[in-house]
Amino acid sequence: MSAGGITAEPPVVAAPPPGSGPGRLGRYLVGAFFLAPALFMLGVWMVYPAVYTIVRSFFGPTGFFGHWVGFHNYRTLFTTSTLTTAIKNNAIWVAVVPALVTAIGLVFAVLTERVRWAVAFKTAVFLPMAISAFATGVTWRIMDQQDPSLGAVNALGKTISGVFSPAGVLSSAFPSTSVLQPAKGGALVMKTALQPGSVAKLGLTGIAPDAVPNGAEQAVQPAAKAGDITGVVWRDFKPGGGQTGVVEKGELGLPGVTVELRSSAGKVVQSTKSDAHGTFDFASVPAGSYKAAIGSQTFAKPFGGYAWLGPNLIIPSLLIAYIWIWAGFAMVVIGAGLAAMPRDVLEAARTDGAGEWQVFRRVTVPLLAPVLSVVFVTMIINVLKVFDIVYSLAPESEYAKANVIALAMYFTAFQGAGNFGIGSAIAVFLFLLVIPVLALNIRRFKRDV
Amino acid sequence: MAAATAIEIPAPRDRPAARILRFVAQTPLNIFLAIVGLLWLVPTIGLFITSILPASADASKGWWQIFTKPSLATWGNYHALFHQSGLVQALKTTAYIAVGNTLLVVILGALAGYAFAWLDFPGRDWLFIGVIGLLVVPLQMALIPMFKLYDTFGLFDTWEGIALFHVAFGLPFAIFLLRNFFVGLPKDIMESARIDGASEIVIFVRLILPLGLPAIASLAIFQFLWTWNDLLVALTFGQNTTPITVWIAGQLREFGTSIDIIAPASFISLVVPLTVFFAFQRYFVQGLLAGSVK
Amino acid sequence: MTRTRIVLTLAVATALLGAGLAGAKTSSHAKTGVNTAVSGTITFDGVWTSSSGQTQFQDVIKLFNKTYPNVHVRYKPVGNNLPTVLATAVAGGHPPDMADIAQPGTVAQFAKQGKLKPISYASSVMSANFAPAWTQLGTYSGKFYALPFKAANKSVVWYSPPIFKTAGVSPPKTFSQLLTDAKTIHASGTPAYSIGGADGWTLTDMFENIYLRTFGAAKYNALSKHQIKWTDPSVATALKSMAKIVGDTSNVYGGTSGALQYGFNQSVTNAFASPPKAAMVFEADFVGGVISSSTKAKANTGFNTFTWPSITPGPNASAVEIAGDLFVTFRDNPAIEAFVKFLATGPAAEAWAKQGGFGTGNKNVPASIYPDPITKATEAPISQAKSVVFDMSDEQPPAFGATTGQGEWGIFQDFLKNPKDVSGIQKKLEASATAAYK
Repeated sequence: MSAGGITAEPPVVAAPPPGSGPGRLGRYLVGAFFLAPALFMLGVWMVYPAVYTIVRSFFGPTGFFGHWVGFHNYRTLFTTSTLTTAIKNNAIWVAVVPALVTAIGLVFAVLTERVRWAVAFKTAVFLPMAISAFATGVTWRIMDQQDPSLGAVNALGKTISGVFSPAGVLSSAFPSTSVLQPAKGGALVMKTALQPGSVAKLGLTGIAPDAVPNGAEQAVQPAAKAGDITGVVWRDFKPGGGQTGVVEKGELGLPGVTVELRSSAGKVVQSTKSDAHGTFDFASVPAGSYKAAIGSQTFAKPFGGYAWLGPNLIIPSLLIAYIWIWAGFAMVVIGAGLAAMPRDVLEAARTDGAGEWQVFRRVTVPLLAPVLSVVFVTMIINVLKVFDIVYSLAPESEYAKANVIALAMYFTAFQGAGNFGIGSAIAVFLFLLVIPVLALNIRRFKRDV
Repeated sequence: MAAATAIEIPAPRDRPAARILRFVAQTPLNIFLAIVGLLWLVPTIGLFITSILPASADASKGWWQIFTKPSLATWGNYHALFHQSGLVQALKTTAYIAVGNTLLVVILGALAGYAFAWLDFPGRDWLFIGVIGLLVVPLQMALIPMFKLYDTFGLFDTWEGIALFHVAFGLPFAIFLLRNFFVGLPKDIMESARIDGASEIVIFVRLILPLGLPAIASLAIFQFLWTWNDLLVALTFGQNTTPITVWIAGQLREFGTSIDIIAPASFISLVVPLTVFFAFQRYFVQGLLAGSVK
Repeated sequence: MTRTRIVLTLAVATALLGAGLAGAKTSSHAKTGVNTAVSGTITFDGVWTSSSGQTQFQDVIKLFNKTYPNVHVRYKPVGNNLPTVLATAVAGGHPPDMADIAQPGTVAQFAKQGKLKPISYASSVMSANFAPAWTQLGTYSGKFYALPFKAANKSVVWYSPPIFKTAGVSPPKTFSQLLTDAKTIHASGTPAYSIGGADGWTLTDMFENIYLRTFGAAKYNALSKHQIKWTDPSVATALKSMAKIVGDTSNVYGGTSGALQYGFNQSVTNAFASPPKAAMVFEADFVGGVISSSTKAKANTGFNTFTWPSITPGPNASAVEIAGDLFVTFRDNPAIEAFVKFLATGPAAEAWAKQGGFGTGNKNVPASIYPDPITKATEAPISQAKSVVFDMSDEQPPAFGATTGQGEWGIFQDFLKNPKDVSGIQKKLEASATAAYK
């Protein structure tokens, strides 16, 4: 059984007996008839533009041809950083995507053979291919948003993280005056020392009205009490700003806030909760110097969301979205290959006692090799040309980081500058990149024969 | 190779006990596939829910708000789209382009694929590599030279012109796929047919095409799909010829998210390729080749 | 019909039109006869789509057809793909008859390549309707090429009244007041600024307004023409002022990383969708369109505007920065000439202006035509301001001023990432500008 690769030798067809059938000219004619229409279309629509592009790359920025600049465009290409980033990124794409897509497609194609509801599953995985590239890019752009109230991925993250590290009651608050200073661990500590009989004023601001805990009432500054340390923690803001550091009418106290009394060494001696007016009272405090603090858990920030569209995660986000789209392609094409596979060979292997995994590895995959190589090579080339998903998913600020060759070419040739000369040079460079890719694959699959 | 399944031997696995065993063994598989399938659907479901939420709701909270406030759902976005003039005409134009070019790609691709797989002529393999190499040509670089050509030959702003462009760009993949597929077909069939005196064309039509149906079906699905969803070619080579993608692009606002247009439009546009996908599913039925080939 | 008769009819019609327009001051219905002699089809590639410009522009065309019923204008809404489509069509030798281009820099490029036809036949209509600066805007190498049909006022700030009320502040008149108010708003619990940094042009707009308000129109135009270098101390001053806004990271919604990820559209919905999450958006009158299409906010209760605060008092405080749609022609024939001349008249502008979302420099359009007070407040200054300048980044060669991720847009995004590095940004800007101006 032939296990063809890209250009593995197809089985030799028996030569027609001499003297019978059409002669050599006949064979050419037949071949020509089969090939001519396709070759004509390819020649006009693809070869001519390809040649034009190669020629065009030696000319200036504008016009159908413009003026001759020789290798100037190529020199510019390799001296600017735009293209080097793009090449590096395309390399990542080539290393990751084709293998993953082919593997996932193969797994899905094989697994769904054994399930009754295969069509439903295949439809679910195929759907992304049917939606336009632009729309899928927009979909993932929205899903990947950092704001957990808008982006689905981070919303999930927020739900999960909310279970393990819930947000503090006053997560957005910060001190209204410099009296409160941030301390390590996220707590806020009062700068000035306190003695029994002092009153601590812990003014916080940056709290939206609807973020004030329930049951809050007008803040009240308590009177000093001998032997105790009293104080108030309140929302130090009224429309217009008001006077910071002073409890004014219209400013609400913050109930339910855990206030700590710390010794001058920093150890927590007492802790208490503020009441509806924001007041608190540390009773019977022994003499000494203390600091009042609000614990860090009050200010624990809610899950802020990962920056999937930020510089660090943009490329993984793109890869995930792309694989999500193209796995369906691999699955359908490989599924077609599976459908056409003769079952008797598999049966023979099974009755010979081979286990499922061995049947898969030794019989199925080799028989599928031609189809697998189509998927794999197509994906490599698709990924070298990738454009739509980067264009619609990545925010503009990340284009430089997420740049790929096709995107660089598009912007160089069509946007802003409109430099067709350099745009053509980039295209030629892309052509050249593929040659080693093809050569490598030819050699690899030829080995399998 | 003799037809091995001429006699029907009941496989041992049809006994009830074996059937139960198979089901139990399959349950983890079913669960695994169910989870994967659902997860895979989440973004698409999200897009659909976005399309039935009003624009103001889409802007303020994520689409899962619909689970807490189902009353927000509305078909308003879809209604608005259907009320815009030109939607039906756009769908018709897209149909011409997509069907037309897919048919041509399948025919020309199958012919060429067969030639590369089973006809012998000098330079065949190098020509084949050349054709695959053309897969690399990016669409954008062909725009300008073809624009000039189309203008000269009066193909500008015709659906035929757009369709022909797609045919050419679809051929490298088509030839690649079909050739590799045909290569795997049992060679004895063709040899015996040749010995019987059948001409290449007869072999092609009577043997290759039926046997190659799964590959042809999947090629057709994707070619149809890709051209249905194409925007750039139609935008460049059309002025009044407006397929659905161009029509949708013409609805998008210059400023503003337009997600209330993109989302429903995607689903309206999705219906046809999905129907094609379902229609062609039956060609993927396994065991097409099993059994006698005489 | 013989050629002489056609020419004669056209001449008479033009004379009538010209006379009618020259006589009209603020009347909205100039009386002209119907001209059936001029006929033809005009293909027009534009960026406006459906209800955000296409339907309104069709109303303008309808009004045109009252006078020229045999001229058919075929408008093609291309949306944001217009630069690509136009570049391809022009290079391929088959451009549309007319197109709408937003950047004077791009128009200049096409003019230099000789692709555009001058519209000097419209010069007299222009001077009857627009201040000389507007004609100057569309003039390159002494020839008049582009008609500034639609203009947007960029010296506008949109704010959320409920957040201002909670904070107890009112629209600031000066920049220092703005900064103080921003701090108060922050203290009230909401970030003050919503900045769509993913779209670099929102950042250049902010810089340009600051520069204009600080140094005035003359210096602004000098910088725009690269007569002042970007390494000039005035640029440093403006950048430092800008850093007071963008560097106040806890006061920017989403912080720096958030601002870099979301673009203009989202910066608007952040402030005006419910619940509002930020207080102010520094962008032009077209914010209104986004608000009405993507949110339920109502005028005065949900949104409102104030003029960009003054920095140095005097005439700088009322200067207006505009952006606009420039109409160019790739061919010349009587139909096109009739249409272009019509577009420069008051009635053409009014046909759209009365529907809102449209600003014009046409001084013959009365302020009363605008449909509501907020629209009037944002659009009327365009034609009434004494000092008008054009969006600086749009005037630059596109490689510097209008390329995604590069040039001004990209460099200002770098500035957003690190607002302390003023001199570094200046050097980058100057290098990029020098390369583009070569």
